Formats: sequence, structure tokens, C-alpha cells
Amino acid sequence: MAGETPPSHRRDSIKQTVGNAAVQRRRQLAVSVAKERREAMFRTKRLCMEGISMNLEAATNGEKMIDEEPPVLESQTSKAVEELKLAVSFKGKDAVQNKVNALRELRRLLSRSGFPFVEVALKSGAIPLLAQCLSFGSEDEQVLEAAWCLTNIAAGTPEQTNALLPTLPLLIAHLGEKSSLSVSEQCAWALGNVAGESDELRDLLISQGALIPLAKMMVPDNGSTVRTAAWALSNLIKGPDPDAATELIKVDGVVDAILRHLKKSDIELATEVSWVVVYLSALSDVATSVLMRTDIVQILVDRLAASNNLQSIIPLLRSLGNLMSGDAYTTNVVLDPGHEITDSIIRSLSKCLKSEHRFLKKEAAWVLSNIAAGSVAHKQLICKSEAVSLLLQLLAGAPFDIKKEVAYVLGNLCVAPADGLGRPSLLLDHLVSFVRNGCLCGFIDLVSPADLEAARIGLHFIELVLRGMPNGEGQKLVEKAGGIDAIEQFQFHENDDLRMMAGLLVDSYFGETYGLDE
Amino acid sequence: MMMMDNQLQTQTQFQCWFPVLRRFGPDDPFFASGNIERELLAKQVALDFTEEEKQQLRNLDDEDSEVICPIVGCGANLRSLVEFEDHYNARHTASCSVCSRVYPTSRLLGIHVSEAHDSFFQAKVARGYAMYECLVEGCGVKLKSYKSRHQHLMDKHNFPSSFDFFKKAQPSKKERSKKNQSKQRNATFNTENEEGSGASAMQVEEETLNGLVSAVSKLTTSDSTPSSISFGRRHTRGLTFVPRVVQRETKK
Repeated sequence: MAGETPPSHRRDSIKQTVGNAAVQRRRQLAVSVAKERREAMFRTKRLCMEGISMNLEAATNGEKMIDEEPPVLESQTSKAVEELKLAVSFKGKDAVQNKVNALRELRRLLSRSGFPFVEVALKSGAIPLLAQCLSFGSEDEQVLEAAWCLTNIAAGTPEQTNALLPTLPLLIAHLGEKSSLSVSEQCAWALGNVAGESDELRDLLISQGALIPLAKMMVPDNGSTVRTAAWALSNLIKGPDPDAATELIKVDGVVDAILRHLKKSDIELATEVSWVVVYLSALSDVATSVLMRTDIVQILVDRLAASNNLQSIIPLLRSLGNLMSGDAYTTNVVLDPGHEITDSIIRSLSKCLKSEHRFLKKEAAWVLSNIAAGSVAHKQLICKSEAVSLLLQLLAGAPFDIKKEVAYVLGNLCVAPADGLGRPSLLLDHLVSFVRNGCLCGFIDLVSPADLEAARIGLHFIELVLRGMPNGEGQKLVEKAGGIDAIEQFQFHENDDLRMMAGLLVDSYFGETYGLDE
Repeated sequence: MMMMDNQLQTQTQFQCWFPVLRRFGPDDPFFASGNIERELLAKQVALDFTEEEKQQLRNLDDEDSEVICPIVGCGANLRSLVEFEDHYNARHTASCSVCSRVYPTSRLLGIHVSEAHDSFFQAKVARGYAMYECLVEGCGVKLKSYKSRHQHLMDKHNFPSSFDFFKKAQPSKKERSKKNQSKQRNATFNTENEEGSGASAMQVEEETLNGLVSAVSKLTTSDSTPSSISFGRRHTRGLTFVPRVVQRETKK
């Protein structure tokens, strides 16, 4: 610091206060950084760090990101916004280059991983300036850098994302087919972050006409742009309003594009496109029926069979699950038990049951449960596969939520489809086989007052055993496995249905006549 | 109406297992873990999480299983299955020291002890006092007989007619053989067929005798508190109702 030297005691006390404040500030910052990182985790947003266009990368490659102290970077950020302000109002020679340089400086500060200094940039008034840089007719590089800054601002907190409001119509406009690929891609990225923020912003973007231009960006064959557009679309249509999904499927060329991209070897591309299918099939019956008229199930099944990485498996599995749960047509007609496609999907599901990832086991069991809700032929097919032994193992030892899904599969396998004439009939050989394999304990575990749904299926299965096991074995087996205790817990439960069920079971099978004939 | 089938088929009112297609909305908690994983995988580069941080974030999802205790009259708010198990074990496993039946609340245990093991209670009943309390906490109604209380539970609180507070439940084979042995020792031992309605003085006597027998036998067993949650049964099987897997996880 230039200037006269203050007396030593004063200098010391100043140093002390500055020191303390700095330590405190650093601590505060560390806490908020950690919190921010955690929250950033859950957001369906993506920070843009390395840019899209090759030209841009070349320009910035030489720069080293010096690791300054946060306060220094903060002041650099506000300084960058100031510079941008000057550049925007400057009307002379090289005006464009000035603007681009200023934007680039701001963009670099906003692209740091961990803690971009969005708040400072906003407070310094970056948004109106960035909006001006997006005006029609502006140079590509200018629009690109501005959209990049906005992308990273929108990757932040709800307040920060909402600050982008004035710029949205401009970003949407630059998605048009006249824009260069990198410009439209960067704008799509920014919009994807905005859409990922909230239902309200999603609705707003749709009302401002974002859906169709983004959908059109998915139609051609250029990898990177399609991928970003697909990701942005998945954020845009994810609901809860199903209308966007229904509108998307109607856009010319979209269905064809989806099928085409799903067959490509580009894993990341196919992953993002399958997420679009996930939301289409989850939200819109119209979309599901349109998709079911294509060979999408075959494509998805084949892709699932060939996939080895988690990132692609998740949306493939889920799309199939959604397509199957929406409509019995999928299981009944498309997944013909006589055809290879059905064997293939059961094999893939069995592979998922062996995964180390809990949620994958759970979701795979869910999909299986819906296949098991199909025809007797489907059930027999599953019983002949390796899935059954995996399921029985999981029932015995897996976490509660997985056990529950597995229970649905096994139970469905024991009961024929309902024919509308009262109680569906039992598939005794399946039931007996499972019970001999010791499945009762797992079902009894599910009869817990903490989870009514689980308790219901546990009690239902116990009833199957009591009713169906030959030679009245059911009662002894249930008793031996601690089933009576489990049932009796529900005699004090507040849920009427379960209380009644428990009472009925005890009355019918463990009433006064039980055990007398010994 | 309860129709009992001779072949012990489940009564027709029981809605049994029905295979159906199950669907979840995209935002259903069912998909939460998968969604988290998607974001983790997509953001590897940008946010640079360590393996430890990632694991912590994955585990967060598991902790989101809030439970409200469903035992009639309790309704406590618990934040996880593990907490629920603790709560249940602490508050709802009240066992009778005389006959070792287990009840979910100390109030119900108290009611049981009065009705089954207290001769003063019986004396008052004999004199016409309304001694049989309604089992639902907060109701406050008292009836003159076991049967009329049963009726009140059905009429006012929708309890099923099969519900029997002081049920002469069926003991296990082990218990039955134990009983047969004590039968030979005990002339006043009544058969299992006696209904629980209208606890009589004789029953109290028998209970007391049984109580002595079981109290003596308890001196030799190591664990006198039944670990199972079975109200009214003398089972001492060590099967806690909370899924074993939860216990396993807390052991980590």
C-alpha cells in the first residue's frame, strides 16, 4: 500500500482487524461454497465451462486460470461488468471487438468450477448489458459470449435464474434456423438451465414459444447441437403439465429423429435422447401411443442389451418401464413371450438385478413386476429365467424398498391374470416353488406398521399361501415363519382395511379350531 | 357378515392379490435416486465432487423416509425407519408381568392387567359398575361387560367383530406341550376353547395360577421381555417386526 507509514501500534491493530475479517470471510465463504456445491448437485442444470465452438476454445486455451482469493475474484467480476458497460455504450471503431473482449473476461470469471461469482455480476448490473449484446444482427461471437455468461448465471440459485427473465425472448429467437450452430446451441444450453429451475419458468418458456425451435434443433444429424437441444428439451417438457410432451411429439420430424438418434453409436447423444423418451412416455398418453406405433421398444431393448454404462442404462430402463406401465399393449403384443425381444429384455433386467446400484435393482424389479402382470406365458417365461433366483435372494436380504418391488414380481407370478369373474386363480406350481425356497420370511418382513403398502402386499401374499398351499400346509408354514405375530400387529392399527384383513386372516386360519387336530 | 367356510377358505370379503400394471409419475420419489445419479454422472467435470461427497449425497435420499406411528392413539412423527423402530420399542412394547402378553401402549397394558388379573376389578364388575373401558384413547366410555365393550368398539369405532382384546390366542406347539405338562399338574386348568368374553372369577384364578407357573419359569429364562410385538400371544419368538435390513444398516 502506498502512502505514509502509520505509527507501528496503529499498523498492528489495523493488521489484526483486517486479518480477523479475512479469516471470517474465508470461513463464511467456505460454508456457502459447500452448501452451494451440495445444492448444485441436485439441480438439473449444467455449468458451461469449456465452450462449444472450436474457434473460441483456441482463443481461450492459452489463458491460465490464476487461483486468486475469492474476494479478489469478486472485485474482478464487478470490474468486468463495468468494462462491459463501457464497451456497450462505446460507439466508435472496434466497438464489436471491445464488447467481445469485455464479454470474454466476464465469461471466464463466470465459468470457474465451484463458485462462479454470479451474485456480484448481477448486482453490478450485468443482465441489461447482456441483453443488449443479444440484440438482433449482432456478431456471432458477441451473441455467443453473452449467451455463455447467461448460461452460467442460470446454473445458479432460483433468484439468479429468474434474473434472466428479460433475456429469454432473445435467447429463444437465436434458436432459429438462421443462427449459426454454435450460437443456437449455446442459447439452447442457457434455456435448458432456465427450464430446469421451476415449473413456472418452464411454462413461461413454452408460452414464449421455446418448444418448437428446440424440437427442430433435434432433427438434423450434428451430434453436439442435437445433444444439447435434447437435454434442454427434457428439462422443458418434464412437467408436471403433460401438454408440452404432447406438443413435442407432434412436431414434424421429431419421432423419426428420436428413432434415428437412438440407433447411433454416440452414447451421450443416445442418452440425452432417451431421457426425452422417458418424459414423453411418463407424461403423455398421446406421445406413448404415437411411439408404440413405431419399433421403439425393439430399439430400446436392443440398446439396453448392448449398454454397459450406468449413464445410458438409466433412461433406457426407465423408458421401457414407462412404455410398459402405460399400456398393456406393450406387454401383451410387443413383448410376445415367444419372441427373442422378450427373452432379451428379461436378460437385461436380470443383469440390472445384479447391479451394485440399489436404485437400478429397484427400478428393474418394477419393470419386471409389470411384465409379470401379463399373461401366464409371460410369467412362465420369467420363472424359467435366472431372474427368479435373483429375486428370491433379493427378497431375503435386500433393503426394504427393493424387497417391496421384488415382492410385487413374485406375487404377480403366482396369480393368473384377472378374468373379470371374481378372484384370479392361483398358479400353484409357482407359489409352491417360491414358498419351498423360503420366500415367506421376506414377505412377512414387509408386514410392517411403518409402511402400509408393504404391509398390504405382505398380508396379501400370506393369504395366497394360506389359501393355496396343498394339504393345509400353509398355516403351519406361516406360523413357523412368525406370520401370526406379524398379522396380529395389525389388529390395533388405525388403518381400517389392514385391520380388517388381519382380523379376517386370523379368524379364517388361526381361529379356535387351529391346532386342535394334533 | 362373516361367513366361515368349512374348508377354511378365506372369507370372500378379503380382497386378495390382483396383478396390475403399476405406473409412477416422473417426479415420483420412486425415481429420486436414479435422478440424482443422472445429475451426478452429468456433472463430474463441472463440479468435481470427491467420491466421498458423492456417496454422502446418494445416502441423503435414503434418509427421507418419514413415518407417522400408526398405533391407535399415538401418531408420533418419526424421521426415519430407524427412529420409528426405536420409538416403537420404547413406547409400544409393554408386556404384562403376570402373563407376558404384549401391548402397544402402557394404557392398554393397564387395562389388560385390571381386567385379567385384578380381583378387585372383578368384584366391582360383579356389583354392576361400568368397568370395561373403551380401548380407544380419548373416548372415555365405560361399559358394564366385556361383550358390551366389544359392541361399542364395533359400533362407535369400526373395529371388526373378529377383534378380541382378551383373546385366548393359540399358543405354539412348544407352548401347547408345555401346557399339557402343566395340565397334568394343574387340575383347574381350562381348555383352550373357553371364550374370552366375560372374564370370570374362575378365569382370574386360573390366570393367577398360570401366572405363577409362568413367573416361576421366567426365573430361569434369560430374557423375560418378549422381543416380538404380538399382543395377547405368549410367543417369545425373537422376530421384531421392523425389517431386519434396517437393523443391519444401523450397524454400519
